[in-house]
Amino acid sequence: MGRVFRNVFLGICVVLWIAPLWLLVVNTIAPADTYAEDSPQWWPDGFGLLGNLARAWTEAGIGAGFANSVLYAVVCSAVAVLIATMAGFAVVVLPVRRPVLWFWFIYSGTLFPLQMFLAPLFGMYAESDLYDTQLGLGLVYVALAIPFAFFVVRNQLTTIPAELTEAAQLDGASWWRIFGSIHLPLMRTAMLAAFAFQFTWVWNDLLFGITLARSPQVTPVMAALASLSGNYGSVPTPVILTGALIVSIPTIAIFLGFQRAFARGIGASL
Amino acid sequence: MTQTIARPDRLTSRPRIVRPRSSTQPVGRAASIPFLAPAVIFVGVLLVYPFLASVWSSLFDDNGFTQRFVGLDNFGKLVADPILARSLLNTLMWVVGTLVLPVVLGLAIAVASNSLSRRWGAFVRGAIVLPYAISGSATAALWHFLLESHGAVNQVLNTVGLGGLTTSWLLNWPQNTLSMIVASTWQATGFSVILFLVGLQSIPRDTVEAASIDGAGGWRMFASIIFPQLRPVTVVVVGMALVNSLKSFDIIWVLTQGGPARTSETLALTMYRETFLLFHVGYGSAVAVLLTVIVIAAAWLYLRTQLPRVR
Repeated sequence: MGRVFRNVFLGICVVLWIAPLWLLVVNTIAPADTYAEDSPQWWPDGFGLLGNLARAWTEAGIGAGFANSVLYAVVCSAVAVLIATMAGFAVVVLPVRRPVLWFWFIYSGTLFPLQMFLAPLFGMYAESDLYDTQLGLGLVYVALAIPFAFFVVRNQLTTIPAELTEAAQLDGASWWRIFGSIHLPLMRTAMLAAFAFQFTWVWNDLLFGITLARSPQVTPVMAALASLSGNYGSVPTPVILTGALIVSIPTIAIFLGFQRAFARGIGASL
Repeated sequence: MTQTIARPDRLTSRPRIVRPRSSTQPVGRAASIPFLAPAVIFVGVLLVYPFLASVWSSLFDDNGFTQRFVGLDNFGKLVADPILARSLLNTLMWVVGTLVLPVVLGLAIAVASNSLSRRWGAFVRGAIVLPYAISGSATAALWHFLLESHGAVNQVLNTVGLGGLTTSWLLNWPQNTLSMIVASTWQATGFSVILFLVGLQSIPRDTVEAASIDGAGGWRMFASIIFPQLRPVTVVVVGMALVNSLKSFDIIWVLTQGGPARTSETLALTMYRETFLLFHVGYGSAVAVLLTVIVIAAAWLYLRTQLPRVR
């Protein structure tokens, strides 16, 4: 009885979860020109995937946004993780005055709703010509990614025994040397996990992308997708769905690639 | 930046690391500046300063061009604003919906699929978890297609003979908010499944075996043995769902933009519309401040009631 109930419950869940994905795939493959607007298709009828891909990529601006987002997600996350690791090293290993205060200062960035940063950033950017530039958006993404990466890396750093540092100090190594040849190599896994988290976050951001930039050469891919799906009716449905599918590929890849690191990182922070 | 709630117990009670005395390196303190400075500058200039500027700006009547100090008037206007009442109600619906649905479903799916064979378990979990890897904007684009007047949801309802239930899912309140909560559940449940599975795997096998020797099984086993040991995970899952649902933006923005006629706005959307579309900068900042107070109060209350029992 229990087993039957369990299987029925899981069966229903799987169907409910897969049905939207199935519809996404089938209606992405459907040729845009002959697509009947009135009813979603449940079975592929013709092959228009490549045409839809081309239209979403060029006409709808997903391609330009994609390139921008790759730049932001890879570079900003990598820079943020490195900066966060250096700060973690300072707070945990170096003889800093008031390490707890610095911890909370940097970590406070994750506590506030993102809406709190928006209007003043917009004002600052408008005054300093950073508005609608890749550099401007990139700087914000670095800043936003630092606090949580710092949290992950710092937790990991506290598990490295202090004796390692002391031994290196007795050998006369400088702090940069100790950081570079002891802590960085030991922190590789945690840094990679933090990078994967931040990559996903930057990639998925819509709020800052539509607030601090507007031209297609600067806006990230989610902004392009949002304005594309704001045009339901004038843009054929298969093209919009293809856009949604394309933007999901990098995060799905990261997710599958880092599944173990994610689970371990989560497990360690519980 | 997956947002999470800090665990204060970890911070204060960790054994203090013995810091190398500065006798070996007299300039030890100055040496830490280049390590700490980049993070402090980025966070200080681009996050902490804007945060304080937002608080300050909520005290002004600011239309984007001129500003006039009005003290707490913006907050007085908030209380009287019917849009804000609706927005608060929607935010509350989001909080309740995203706490109940993804957390309960995630727990149920994790526990039920944990006893499946390896292959089936992986298949079931893969199906539920995959949407989690899809962004909010893409989820919204897909669900727009499902929820349209002649979208897949109404099509299915008509086909199975429930045509009476079809409606314009995104055009009327409260269906629009409820449908978006369902869309968000579809995307987010995978994350609680992952967390609960990690928790389940950390339960020592012998407590479960001992209970089954004593004759506990099924519901009894879950309620008295398994769930109590999942408590630390539940605290984290609920805390994250709480904080994230208060800030939900992209699904709503892409699906309805808070409309029609601002009926599906949450606080996050109201702030965006007031500031960037209506140029009520001071008033928008007041909404952001209100949202911050709610987020921090909710997180604090929740952690305060839950953490002591964890130990």
